[in-house]
Amino acid sequence: MVVVNAYPVLYAAQQSLHDGSLIAQGPFVGLENYRTVLTDPSFWKAVRFTLVFTLCGVLGSWLVGYALALAFRRPFLGRSILKVAFLLPWVVPVVVTSMSWNWLVATASSPIPQFFAALGMPDVLFLADPTLAVVMVCLFKIWISFPFMFLMMSAALEGIDDTVYEAATVDGAGRVGALLHITLPLTAKSTYISWVLMSMFTINDFPTIYLLTGGGPVDATTSLVVLAYRSVFQSFQPGYGVAVAFLMTAALIGISLALFRSIRKAD
Amino acid sequence: MQDHRRRPFTRRTLLSATGALSAGAALSACGSGGGSSSGGGDLVFWDMVWGTGADYTALAQELAGGYEPEDDALGVTYQSIPWANWYQTFSSAVASGTGPAVSTGAAFQPFSFLEDSAVVPADGAIALLEEQGKADFLPGLLESMHTEQGYAGIPWGLDLRVLWYRESMLEEAGADVPTTWQEYLDAGKKLKAAGKIGFGMAAGSSTTDAQHSIFALFINNGGGLFTEDGEPFADSDENIEALEFVEEMVGEGIIDPRSASYTSDNLDSDWAEGRIAMGFGQTGFDKVMKDPVSSDLRVMSPVTSTNGSTGTIYYINAIMLYENTPDQVSSDQYAAWWATQTDEFWLQDVMIDLPVTERLAANEKIASNPNAVIAIEEWQPIGKTLGAKAPAAFGALNSVDGGEAAAAFVQQVVQGDQSPRQMLETLQSELEQLM
Repeated sequence: MVVVNAYPVLYAAQQSLHDGSLIAQGPFVGLENYRTVLTDPSFWKAVRFTLVFTLCGVLGSWLVGYALALAFRRPFLGRSILKVAFLLPWVVPVVVTSMSWNWLVATASSPIPQFFAALGMPDVLFLADPTLAVVMVCLFKIWISFPFMFLMMSAALEGIDDTVYEAATVDGAGRVGALLHITLPLTAKSTYISWVLMSMFTINDFPTIYLLTGGGPVDATTSLVVLAYRSVFQSFQPGYGVAVAFLMTAALIGISLALFRSIRKAD
Repeated sequence: MQDHRRRPFTRRTLLSATGALSAGAALSACGSGGGSSSGGGDLVFWDMVWGTGADYTALAQELAGGYEPEDDALGVTYQSIPWANWYQTFSSAVASGTGPAVSTGAAFQPFSFLEDSAVVPADGAIALLEEQGKADFLPGLLESMHTEQGYAGIPWGLDLRVLWYRESMLEEAGADVPTTWQEYLDAGKKLKAAGKIGFGMAAGSSTTDAQHSIFALFINNGGGLFTEDGEPFADSDENIEALEFVEEMVGEGIIDPRSASYTSDNLDSDWAEGRIAMGFGQTGFDKVMKDPVSSDLRVMSPVTSTNGSTGTIYYINAIMLYENTPDQVSSDQYAAWWATQTDEFWLQDVMIDLPVTERLAANEKIASNPNAVIAIEEWQPIGKTLGAKAPAAFGALNSVDGGEAAAAFVQQVVQGDQSPRQMLETLQSELEQLM
């Protein structure tokens, strides 16, 4: 386990202190790679996008997943089939779903631009406009992630005893009151855990972004993990790329600690 | 290199495992075989999946199987390597000492590997070709492989970028085949009026297509990304002028604004659906398309730029010889032999790139293809590497070609919201940082 886990980390740490290639380690440069990263506008642009992507991915998928979990609490016709259908975006490999989204919007002959054109609407550059590309990547992330939240929140809601709601109704609580004062507090622990997990998934999410936009256009959708990958394997600057990865890991540990503190408070 | 005997567990040990794993994964996907013998002492030859893919690999494996080493030289084991994660595959294998003795690979790989002492100069193998009278390379190609240490590899295939057009679409739009940049703009405007794209390219981050197209225009105008000494010089007057031409195409809608996010598949689909009428492409682009598009595609003659010059970009595919070989003489012998065997790929129609030798250029198979003839006779002599204006390529080009800086640059060009000088100054600063 030490070999498998610790050695690559130590080797990577060593690489971040050198100016070399993947073949030759190169000269020792101390913390120069970290200094370069922290003073590079591309890094801070990636930090900003990572924050937006993570907030949208976590909160967006949680909202959709929670809403669906609430809707699926009561039995109705076709509930089981629909439940399975809603899990599909999570189950289907992201390579397939990203290609589908690309097919839907990328070219002028794609279905959605064609539909817009048929309605006489202006040409929309879904993936080629930097702002819209960010929106598309965030929507894509929400779409592939909400089933996870749906499952997590469904399990949490199962744990709430119906008698709690019955007592609240007797006390005069309405639907909104029950949601705010019973459902949300009693599922808070599951919510925080799902946020922690989804934050990890999202910050470390490489394929969702890379397969849909490759980090472009003009780095608009370059997250920290995409920046690290592209630095190491496209620009062949492993020292810089690994430094980005280590800074990202440090931030992840910080976020996780903060969220775990929230979980403890929820107990 | 570290002395692995002094340490029970080293970087090399880990990389050996990683290299073996990645090689194993690659090989399990593609299979291996061929070779004159299967003994443990054979040379290992890694060959990328070129041209038509499966047909190419089957023929390559068959050819390698026919290798009969002279004297006491070693035999060879052929292994097909996929392009996916090629750099990781090669670098981990080389660093761990589990790499090949001879390989084909990416255009600037031999230069960067030579600088890292992973490969050795191919001078010995080229001398063998000269002895056999088979070193009849097309003009400029061997010179482009020359470094201070010697030849970085043996050229065997040429990825040359030429301008293609759809004959029927130009006729329908009432546009003439352009011979100058001004005529190109005129034709592009007519195509735009007909709802077609006059300069198709894919500038998404997962493809280098637009980078090749725009850098080809720099060379077309007598520019390039580097000086004769190999120093970055992106913001030259020639490049600014070339980018002004591109800027005009963006402004006139001759370049599709969607191309900023295009993948190669998106681009091919636009060509196939008849949305694109002109644009740069590889010389075998007509083989990639299907009829009726394929038979309607024509290579145009080089287009003269504003300052009266012509030019384009090319990428030389080379055979590399590695430092880590059981026997360097055997490697030289096999590499030279393989370079001559590659003729079969063109004779049996499994290659998309151009051949690199005079003998193949004159062969009836090539000479009967009018598009290939224009490419060889008119485009190849004016071609230069990405290192232009430097006389030969160099290792740092590996980081430039397909790197973040070049990808962001071409996407910015398609956005059209910065001046050419501003974009080139940013690129210049990025290149300086990379170098």
